[in-house]
Amino acid sequence: MTIALGVLQVVLLVIGAPLLRGIVGRLKAVLQRRRGAPIWRPYADIWKLLHKEDLVPPSASGIFGLAPLLLLVTSILATAFVPLLANSALLGSTGDFILLVYLLAFGRFFLALGGMDGGSAFGGMGASREALVSSLAEVPLVLGLVAVAIQASNASVVGMTEWALERNFFNISAVHLLAFLALGIVALAETGRMPVDNPATHLELTMIHEGMVLEYSGPNLALIEWAGAIKLSFMAGLLIALFAPWGMATTFSPAALGLAAVAMLAKTFALAVALAVIESGIAKLRMYAVPDFLGVAAAFGTLAVIFTALMKR
Amino acid sequence: MAVATLAGCGASGHSLLNSEVRKLNPSLLTPFPFTFSLDPLGLFFLILICTVSLPVALFSVSYVKRHYSAARQKWLWALLFLFVTSMAGVVAASSGFAFLVCWEIMSLASAGLILIEGSSGDRRHNLFIYLLMTHAATAAVIAAFLVFLPHSHSLDFAAIRAAGATLPPGVRIALFLLAFAGFGTKAGIIPLHLWLPRAHPIAPSPVSALMSGVMLKIAVYGFVRFAFDFLVGGPAWFGYLVLVAGAVSGLLGVLYAIAEHDLKRLLAYHSVENIGIIYLGLGASLVFMAHGARVWAALALAGALLHTLNHALFKSLLFLGTGAIADSTHTVDLEKLGGLQRRMPVTGAVFLIGCCSIIGLPLFNGFISEWMIFRSFLGGSTLTNSIAQTLLPLIVGVLALIGGLAAACFVKVFGVAFLGRPRSQEAEHASEAPLAMRAGMMLLAAGCMVIGIWPGAFLRPIVSLAQSLVGAPAAPPETLLIARVIPWVAAAFLALLAVVSVLKRAKRQTPTWACGLPGLTSRMQYTSTSFSKPIRFVFGRVYKADRKLEVLPEDQPYFPASISYHSVRTTSYERFLYRPFVDGVVAAANQLRRLQTGNIQVYLLYIVMTLVSLLLYLRLAG
Repeated sequence: MTIALGVLQVVLLVIGAPLLRGIVGRLKAVLQRRRGAPIWRPYADIWKLLHKEDLVPPSASGIFGLAPLLLLVTSILATAFVPLLANSALLGSTGDFILLVYLLAFGRFFLALGGMDGGSAFGGMGASREALVSSLAEVPLVLGLVAVAIQASNASVVGMTEWALERNFFNISAVHLLAFLALGIVALAETGRMPVDNPATHLELTMIHEGMVLEYSGPNLALIEWAGAIKLSFMAGLLIALFAPWGMATTFSPAALGLAAVAMLAKTFALAVALAVIESGIAKLRMYAVPDFLGVAAAFGTLAVIFTALMKR
Repeated sequence: MAVATLAGCGASGHSLLNSEVRKLNPSLLTPFPFTFSLDPLGLFFLILICTVSLPVALFSVSYVKRHYSAARQKWLWALLFLFVTSMAGVVAASSGFAFLVCWEIMSLASAGLILIEGSSGDRRHNLFIYLLMTHAATAAVIAAFLVFLPHSHSLDFAAIRAAGATLPPGVRIALFLLAFAGFGTKAGIIPLHLWLPRAHPIAPSPVSALMSGVMLKIAVYGFVRFAFDFLVGGPAWFGYLVLVAGAVSGLLGVLYAIAEHDLKRLLAYHSVENIGIIYLGLGASLVFMAHGARVWAALALAGALLHTLNHALFKSLLFLGTGAIADSTHTVDLEKLGGLQRRMPVTGAVFLIGCCSIIGLPLFNGFISEWMIFRSFLGGSTLTNSIAQTLLPLIVGVLALIGGLAAACFVKVFGVAFLGRPRSQEAEHASEAPLAMRAGMMLLAAGCMVIGIWPGAFLRPIVSLAQSLVGAPAAPPETLLIARVIPWVAAAFLALLAVVSVLKRAKRQTPTWACGLPGLTSRMQYTSTSFSKPIRFVFGRVYKADRKLEVLPEDQPYFPASISYHSVRTTSYERFLYRPFVDGVVAAANQLRRLQTGNIQVYLLYIVMTLVSLLLYLRLAG
């Protein structure tokens, strides 16, 4: 039963990911008083791209085609850590957050290599900037998770969720607030959202992720887009599981699971609204202001870890 | 040599499993105890030496033939054999005398191997710095043994170990600091790393692989032997000192590495970084021991030891890969490489495995050991001491930054050297390395993969070794966890990869997008320098680049006839740390020169004064 639920959660996160992206896009359109594309549009995009042929630059080696595959595989594996409907996940209790963080790094590493393989200036530029952003984002990501793990005395995602589940909203500590701020900023940076990166631009002065994948087309691009969507839904799922897991099913009865699904959808929608508001309300930061932004996140993470020691006395 | 190392490997592996002590005692030959015996710690390092030396020897079979004349080949093989044997001698020694003799042979043999490549002025200068620093390290180690002598009355390790428990605190501190400085210099912790980026690049590639992959580990062995086996830990500040050294070396090492575009220097700086990670593990272990948390100490120490083995594997793999690149393109300058993956697919694949391992991606060996060190720092929160409780979990952030920057650096290395278009004629016409070289690299890559995917088999002996060193009552449960979950992740990874591959379609080659303009050249690609620019900009204070921009003629800044720009990166260590020290030594020597008047009457006076003072001393002391 737990395994079936775990598989179901992974499928939900992987298949539902483009929908979340579509909803965020639609919400942004509403906020900006545009009509916007239908929320199913990302599926249509992926479907279309999957049926095209792969265009490969003449300088490209095998890495070029391998990178999108590895990116997608590691993104799917990462979703196996996230408890969604009930507090269990395929890798959530045996694998800890360090494995999770490094799995994400795996896909990123290969995508950056894929960007370099095209032999153009744009790929290298995107990879170089991505390298900067992701290496700096690693610090608040890990520190935020460390703080929560120390509070919960457990390094697995399920263990951390368990700890939060046992408390109610008002009982949760300052550590969680600080860690949430740190991880929230990291989530924006990791998913290539404003104010770190603009997913809707192709201007070489500003683009990070888009520069890296500029040479990709067809099924390769579809895999990358899908992996990007999965990363967004994964981040949303992780934030919800760690900081607001209430409403998860405690038994495997259909009613409890149904209720949990409703709660999960509501919380995800709330996050989507928050993301749309942030993206519509904030301008993209200058490239060299991004380290300061991530530095703020790292400061939140550091404070969160220090507070865990203070809370113990 | 290959056969010898294989035999050694087999024998030591057999003994490690049986924990059987073998003794060899040629001490009748010398007045000092010159004994060898293998305990589990020595065996672990002996296995490390043999596992790395065998593939390196295989690689060298073909590499040496292609590069050196027959006379030099003989020297190289002789010295290489001496070098490996002396390293084995160091870890097998069971007395201070044997240890020091082998240690010195190791240093001199490596210096001799560097000279094989030639002895121009610049090389001699770098070699001199290496020899100087390695002998300063040796002096500290000799001093450490001599400090032990009045308490142990013998240089035999058993006597030293027995004396270690009852040392007065002052002697204990002196011993620890001497061992820390001596072995730290040889291991290359910042700021004692100065020789490392100078000596490694000028050695032949297989020798760099051995120096970086194995010789640095011998220094780690020495430190573990002193700090854990002889002294059995100490006050908590011992641990914090090691932690600070590790954090500084790790962070600065990787930052310096990113700024390099000479592949060998870059890898040398990554050795500094990885030694930093190893020292972080050792430091955490010492802190845990001081606070009585011995199971956590075992986890940290096991992580450090496993990282020592892992670094030996992937760093020698990367140096051999560099050797294969140099063999084919005659350069190790990243700015002149590019597109090698299509021209040297096997070298590229194994080099990529090395890159994935060094940055600690899951399913590669670097991950397992870094994971253990990560987890042990997390365990700091369980201590009751408030400094340790706050500081240890925060260091996880430092480790994360080191990991992130290392990943950035190896995107640069692999992306610039192996992907994209070739940046020079030599890279354009590169061809695959010969069979023996490929085989050597493939063996090391296989080692990285096996430990990464199936860590359980390797963790058991290493954890029990760490347990016995720190006296932990039980094995840390975390190691079981990682051993269990990793094979599953690997299986899921492969299954998913197979499923997702179905989505791929036929591909067609089209020109790279050049904004609609014709004539995209390889010079338009991002170079190593431009790739690292954002990181160098953000961490600008670390580098202190000396830039010089000359615009001619000066009165026309906007319409210049010529602009010249160059930036030189001198490290501050020479300027602010070593230069004053050297100046001080020279000044002191100049003062001492006043004693040397050249006048025979004055020398006779010195003799009389010495005699009188000795007689007085005897009179007063007796």
